[in-house]
Amino acid sequence: MSSHIWCGLLTNLPLLCFLTALAIGACAEGAAMIFGLWTYRSRTFLLLNILVTFGIVEGLGVGWVIGGRQMFLSIAPVLFMVGAVVGILVEGLNEYWWRGSIWPDRPLLGIERSIDKAAFVGVAWGFVPVFTVAISRLVISSGWAA
Amino acid sequence: MAPAKLTLADKIHAGVLSIGVAGLVCAYWVAFFHSDLTMPNFVHNLTNPDLIQFTTVYLGFQSAFPLADLFVAVTSALAAFYLIGRDAKAVLFGLVGSGALGFLALIDISFNLTHGLYSPVFLFKDGGLRMEVIINISCAVGAFWSIWRFWGHPLRRADDRARRETLSDANLATGEPAGR
Repeated sequence: MSSHIWCGLLTNLPLLCFLTALAIGACAEGAAMIFGLWTYRSRTFLLLNILVTFGIVEGLGVGWVIGGRQMFLSIAPVLFMVGAVVGILVEGLNEYWWRGSIWPDRPLLGIERSIDKAAFVGVAWGFVPVFTVAISRLVISSGWAA
Repeated sequence: MAPAKLTLADKIHAGVLSIGVAGLVCAYWVAFFHSDLTMPNFVHNLTNPDLIQFTTVYLGFQSAFPLADLFVAVTSALAAFYLIGRDAKAVLFGLVGSGALGFLALIDISFNLTHGLYSPVFLFKDGGLRMEVIINISCAVGAFWSIWRFWGHPLRRADDRARRETLSDANLATGEPAGR
């Protein structure tokens, strides 16, 4: 793998960013389902979360629009920053108003209170646009998206 | 001790932290990488060799900020999140985030002062620098206002919910009445 992927290659495929974020969302929700990290009140919230929050907001909106045409190492902190702030907003809305998903009683990585779990997961949302752009660039550089 | 009620001032404070700090820091960096909106005019002057050298220093200095601003944006967003939930951790994240914001503002002000960027000659003809001054002043004032407000906030003296629940469970186990 050449190092130019991480500094110079331009990602100009918004669809790829969208699909990558969807894949990350599906993996995250699958892991949450298997390990019982959180549960959804209905399948609609699960689908909306993967499609809208992962795919459109974090993947297409934050990942491609902000980081799609920039040098990766320069823009990575900004991608994490915006992704985490949006994530904290989403988790806050869910924690205080929507209640689309709920936390089980058992601790999540040693975190016991639901408000702390929501804050932790909110910050972790910052990784989604970073990984979206990184994986998209790897896919392009490997020639799969050509 | 019952959690403090979310007052109008708390709502304003949460709005300042989430929109005024976290949101605008994100917006600033998106604009920095995608437009010339945040750039002073002198960075476009390619005729003066001294100015070109200073532009390199200036842009290098500015480019060092995103990682530190990430910390400010995330802690401020967390402070707003916990403040709306009337949780004692709002004070922790609020003081950490506001302290970091004040620190970064003072570094920026120090750089601009020592390089003469606040001189009236510069400010008069450079809209980008005028915006820089407004950002510097609002960050410094906002940070110290936020620190002052969190330090006097009732949540600073409140137990967080986990401790209250633990105490309550312990009291139930020993048969003692809950509360202090």
